[in-house]
Formats: sequence, structure tokens, C-alpha cells
Amino acid sequence: MRLLQYIRVNSEGIWLNGRFSALPTGDWAEALYRQDGIQYPKFFKMDHLCRIGWMASELLLAGENDRFEPRTDRAVILFNRSGSLCNDTQYQTTIQDPDNYFPSPALFVYTLPNIVTGEIAIRNGYRGETSCYLLPDFDAGILVETSRQALQDPGTRSLLTGWVECAPGQSDDLLLCLVDAETEENWNEKNLLQLYRYGHL
Amino acid sequence: MKKTYYNSIDMDTFKQELKAEIIRVLNLDGMQPDDINDAEPLFGEGLGLDSIDALELIVLLEKNYGIKLEKPEDGKAVFQSVNVLADYITRNRKK
Repeated sequence: MRLLQYIRVNSEGIWLNGRFSALPTGDWAEALYRQDGIQYPKFFKMDHLCRIGWMASELLLAGENDRFEPRTDRAVILFNRSGSLCNDTQYQTTIQDPDNYFPSPALFVYTLPNIVTGEIAIRNGYRGETSCYLLPDFDAGILVETSRQALQDPGTRSLLTGWVECAPGQSDDLLLCLVDAETEENWNEKNLLQLYRYGHL
Repeated sequence: MKKTYYNSIDMDTFKQELKAEIIRVLNLDGMQPDDINDAEPLFGEGLGLDSIDALELIVLLEKNYGIKLEKPEDGKAVFQSVNVLADYITRNRKK
């Protein structure tokens, strides 16, 4: 398997294929959305998990040829620890008070962590597998093994995979990778752990 | 005549407030009340709202104006445009 591109985001900054840039102040995903002049109004309806996963995928995929051509051979497989807790907490506030009980439909639809995989797939025209797994912590071994299994499906030739984590009061923590089935073996646990820790190989 | 004049002003003010509230609850980023034509369809070709937006508008009616749409399908008529919606709220509001 071959690692093609990657993006790492944490409280220290953004590394896109090893190139570092500082994190914009405030909501980094929204700041970059505006800075890049992207026109996708649905972005503003997304919950925080979807916004950060979606925006990171925008940066990662920006240079791809024929990017928006519908395709069935790319899967989106993501992992995190806190599920959709950021949005769940917001939704809870709309149902907390029996005297002011107005469940928000717009928040409710994001009370599942796998929605972020769908948002990325819809944006890019991917019609392959999408899935989202919850882990106790970032686990390079499980990420590599799951992606190997996904590429055993003859219909899947590449993956957008990685870690997209956010939780109330914590910094966003992402590592997204574009991987294909070619035989260059740089997609392994050691390299993935290096990317997660340092943002570059 | 004078009363009609003031009512018309009140209705215009109310429509502006209503549009600002629609923009807020539906996260229509970057949009201003004046960007929404009062006669323009809210769904489909107009603002391009979807079914989740319709549910949010139903919540807005109940939360802000005490209006409960018993049948969600009634929303199709009520949410035709800002003009229709404002008129409906004015006639049915409980708060």
C-alpha cells in the first residue's frame, strides 16, 4: 500500500504533506473555508466534527485531478474517540428543559459520528464504502490493518482514512491520509505513528 | 387610512425580523435579510432550503410564536414565501 498525501492538524498547527502552517485563530476550519473562497453553503449547517473532517479533506484533496468526478473505487474510513459528542452536547441543551423543550432537527441529524464520512463522500462524488469506527485512542496498528482489509475488496482501489477527533473543551486532533493499493510499502504502523506525533515523515 | 399605514410599517418591520431569525436558525451564512425577496419561494428554486430546514422552521414557529403545526404537510403552504409566512404568523401567533 502507498501513502499518497496526508494532513495533520492539532493545537500546534497544520502539516500538509509535511509543510507546516500555523493554525488560524478561532475556528480554524471556518477561517480556512473563507480564506480559500470555497462555495459550499452546506458547510455552515455541519456540526463541528463534520466541519473539521470536511475542511481537512478539502486541503488534502485540493490538487487532485478530476476530483469531483463520481467514483466507486475510493472508500472513506475514519476513526475517533469521542464520536459526535460535541454535537450531542449541543443537542442535549435543546431537550434539557421540560418547559423549553424544542429538539433541534438540524442538530439531531448530526448526532452520529459517521455523518462526517458521508459529508466528504457527497462533496467529492465518492460512492464506495464509508465507515467510522470508535477507538479508545489513536491506534496506528488498527488504522493500517483496517485499511489493508478495505483494500482487499476488489472494487476499492484507494482510501481516505485517518483520525478525526474533537471533544468539548479539547483541541481538534486530526490525521487524514490518502492511500492507494500500489505496492510501495510506506503505509505502515511506524510511518503512521511518526505522522501522528510529528506531522511529517 | 392612518391605521393601515402604521400596520404596513409594522408588517415590514416584522418581515425583516422574521428574515433575520430565519437566517439565524438555518445558518444561512453571509446572508442578510434584504437578500431574501419577500415573495420568493423559500424552498426549491428560491433559497434552496431542504427538509431539515423545514423542520427547523416548524420548531421556530412553535418556539417563538406559540404556533404548533399539527400536520407537518401544512408547512408546504405556510412556508411558500416570507409574505405568506409572516401573514400566517400574524393571524395565528399565541405569543
